[in-house]
Amino acid sequence: MSEALQVREQHRTTASAWGGGESPFAVPWAKLMMWLFLLSDAFTFAALLTGYAAMRITAGVWPGAGMKAADFFHVTTVVGPMTFILICSSATMAVAVGAARRGDHRTTVRFLALTVLGGLAFLGMQAYEWTGFIREGARLTGFVGELGGKIQPMFPATFFVITGFHGGHVTSGVIYLLVKTIQASRGRASAESVEITGLYWHFVDLVWVFIFTLLYLI
Amino acid sequence: MAEHHESVRDGAWYRTYVVTWFWLLVITGLEIATVFLGLPRLAVILLLVTLALMKAALIAAYFMHLRHERLNLIFTIAAPLILIVILFLGVARDALNVFFLRQ
Amino acid sequence: MAHVAHAEAQAGHELSFWRKYIFSQDHKVIGIQYALTSMFMAVLGGLLAMFIRLQLGWPGQSWPLLGRLFPSGMPDGQMNQAFYLASVTMHGTIMIFFVLTTLLTGGFGNFLIPLMIGARDMAFPFLNMLSYWLYPPAIIILLASFFVSGGAAGGGWTAYPPLSALPGAAPGSGLGQTLWLISLALLILAFLFGSLNYITTILQLRARGLSMMRLPLTIWGLFVTAILSLLAFPVLLAAAIMLLFDRIGGTSFFVPAGLLIGSVPVDHRGGNPLLWQHLFWFLGHPEVYVLILPPMGMISDILANNARKPIFGYRFMVGSIVAIAFLSFLVWGHHMYTSGMAPVLGTAFMTTTLVIAVPSAIKTFNWLATLWRAKIRFTSAMLFALGFLSLFVTGGLTGIVLAQPPVDIYFQDTFFVVAHFHFVMASAAIFASFAGTYYWFPKMFGRMMNERLGKWHFWLTFVGIYATFFPMHYAGFMGMMRRIYSPQIYAHLQGLQPLNVFVSIAAFVLFAAQFIFLYNFFRSLFRGPQAERNPWRATTLEWEAPSPPPHLNWGETLPTVQRWAYDYSPPDMAEDFQPQAAPAAVPTGRSREGRGDGGHAR
Ligand code: HEM
Ligand SMILES: [Cu+2]
Repeated sequence: MSEALQVREQHRTTASAWGGGESPFAVPWAKLMMWLFLLSDAFTFAALLTGYAAMRITAGVWPGAGMKAADFFHVTTVVGPMTFILICSSATMAVAVGAARRGDHRTTVRFLALTVLGGLAFLGMQAYEWTGFIREGARLTGFVGELGGKIQPMFPATFFVITGFHGGHVTSGVIYLLVKTIQASRGRASAESVEITGLYWHFVDLVWVFIFTLLYLI
Repeated sequence: MAEHHESVRDGAWYRTYVVTWFWLLVITGLEIATVFLGLPRLAVILLLVTLALMKAALIAAYFMHLRHERLNLIFTIAAPLILIVILFLGVARDALNVFFLRQ
Repeated sequence: MAHVAHAEAQAGHELSFWRKYIFSQDHKVIGIQYALTSMFMAVLGGLLAMFIRLQLGWPGQSWPLLGRLFPSGMPDGQMNQAFYLASVTMHGTIMIFFVLTTLLTGGFGNFLIPLMIGARDMAFPFLNMLSYWLYPPAIIILLASFFVSGGAAGGGWTAYPPLSALPGAAPGSGLGQTLWLISLALLILAFLFGSLNYITTILQLRARGLSMMRLPLTIWGLFVTAILSLLAFPVLLAAAIMLLFDRIGGTSFFVPAGLLIGSVPVDHRGGNPLLWQHLFWFLGHPEVYVLILPPMGMISDILANNARKPIFGYRFMVGSIVAIAFLSFLVWGHHMYTSGMAPVLGTAFMTTTLVIAVPSAIKTFNWLATLWRAKIRFTSAMLFALGFLSLFVTGGLTGIVLAQPPVDIYFQDTFFVVAHFHFVMASAAIFASFAGTYYWFPKMFGRMMNERLGKWHFWLTFVGIYATFFPMHYAGFMGMMRRIYSPQIYAHLQGLQPLNVFVSIAAFVLFAAQFIFLYNFFRSLFRGPQAERNPWRATTLEWEAPSPPPHLNWGETLPTVQRWAYDYSPPDMAEDFQPQAAPAAVPTGRSREGRGDGGHAR
């Protein structure tokens, strides 16, 4: 390579966002890492939901002849409001992130706390929903009682495994948020770290969109 | 990004969040309504999946600020998701085969 | 920049022994920890292979001495079936997940990534430490399964249900299988933490001037591998969760109705065992590329260095790595041709599988073109790199044979498949690891390995591998099934006995030859001659740092990169290489000896 060419190429390289010495995405590494983790977690959920789809397609009738999944859940009175609450908590989280970026600590703490409350309410309602389902005869291994023979055994199993896995994510999210709230109230949470917490929380909401649609509605 | 909102009048910076929140609720309402409308099965499925994808897009774009990131980050996150579709299609097609074999 | 600041904040104070060598957050220490642990597991996995060959070479023979060592697995010195199947399963599991994956990404990846991109450490050193410290518990749980009732898992490294789903199905299907799943889940977490770090580090912490298209191919291989594991392992994790529920919770994800165990009906119903195969191979095929992409990258660098020529077709090399990675997610069904999968999918997967051979072939021809008319320096590293080429081609060709469903229906589950993947994956990846060890040992430990022993090691291993695995093609041709405990009970396999004896003896020699390497490794560690900064006269950044590099790798300033990684034998230059970080435009003839510690002013 001629000298002039080499100098030109070097200039072009160092001027480019991909030329090293900086983030090509203009994001801090922790934020990128959270995005990557969420991507990978999305694949875990996707595989679980794919397994659910395989069970359902193989079974043909689901959950049993002449029945709808929605019949077993309180879609309008409990699951709908659960979804509502999770969306609200995502919105409060977004406001908390916005406030943290503007340096408004009071608003940050307040909205983080609201988000925690939303998460707890969601978990409570999920527990209620599980209890109701179990009362109707649902077990991990299949339905017991009068409905026993009429319902696909994998209907309750997929439900418990998938909503349980999501519930685990919500629980860790609530703990994560609590820690962040306490840190923020002592003025020790950077805007960046609040934003990263937010990414995780929104992801939990995002996954719920699909669980809500695929498990309860379709 | 932070600078993005700074120029807006104080108090208005969370307007996008409110608007997003509102639309998410509207779509959720539509989803629940779909189930009780008594449409043909295929229409219900297509409608529900479309609505779910719209909600997911709203959350990612506005709550998770993906819209305000650089395009290359958006691609980095979005492109691998195609593999999920491929996994689903392969498994679902084979599950259909098992369904027919068991009839 | 934040990461530099946080790294430099640590530089001041001396770390205790504990923090420096055991719970270290230094990527070099973690890399070496990963490598040494993997070496330990490799010896174990190798021993299990010796057990397999002992049984296949001399089925039913009694070995009183071994009987005393393994009273439950070899009562009266005769290997029982459960122990044989456990050996096969654990050999595969250990070699694939606990040796090659950990060695290549955890060992080489950790050590090389920050050094080759001019960073001080990984983006998140603490997570990196956590990643390593999930590995020993996973090992302990895996090995503990040998000692539980029923013994270790016996359903193969692929853990197909219903053998793996029903605790009563076989001896190894009991607690052993559960421990296997838990151990693997831990290791998956370790890989996840590792991948997060590798991807972020390579994207964000490259030195100034080191654009993606200037990266050494080693880094490209490791980078794309990390993406593969980030996206593929979660699917196995999900499958493992479902399988655990089947085993412990009584669900039926993978168990269909109507199964009998010892003529007692199983009360699972509604599941689909093919679902496991789909999910497993959605990971499994990308996983085999996790094991071959880093070797491909390392080999490219070692070939170019020892041929003293730029790598041929750099852009195509990068492109084919990316293409292979993408395609590797589309071919999983070629492991399922005979499983009863929908025939239309078989055709689809055949097509994608044949397509994936194209980028592999591009790489092979580029390597050959790199060697074309080169004045090759036959170091031990180079010999192993050339050996890699040979093994990869031998194994790749049988891959194309197996890719076609009509042919595979005959070969599925025979020793032909065993030969295929031992050439293309197992041996090739091991050869690349040896090449990498001989090449980077001076950087890792500041001492040189013994070249004479290295050459002995190479020739014995190379001949040993061909002698061990090549005859397996023929055994497969003759219909000898893999994972079979007593081939002699079939009349059509009895004639293969002399061949099996030959293979077993070759395998013993091969295993023994590895002790030359171990001797060389540990002796050089303490007695090897001191290594200079750049003993191979290489261009890439890691050779700018002292051997071994200090904590945080670089002096005051980070290196600035001026050019791509393959400036070998540039025209009009006195030296036959131009380091990536050497200041631009060195006039002809002037020596560049005595440059500073890689800390070139910007
Ligand atoms: C040239 C490209 C390749 C093609 C067309 C190909 C094709 C195949 C096919 C069709 C099978 C299934 C055989 C059977 O079970 O009946 C197979 C098995 C296998 N291949 Fe390849 N392969 C290729 C390259 C590779 C590479 C590069 C690796 C690893 C680095 C690899 C590792 C394996 C392994 C581990 C198995 C056996 C898995 C098991 O059943 O335990 N292959 N290959
Ligand atoms: Cu494959």
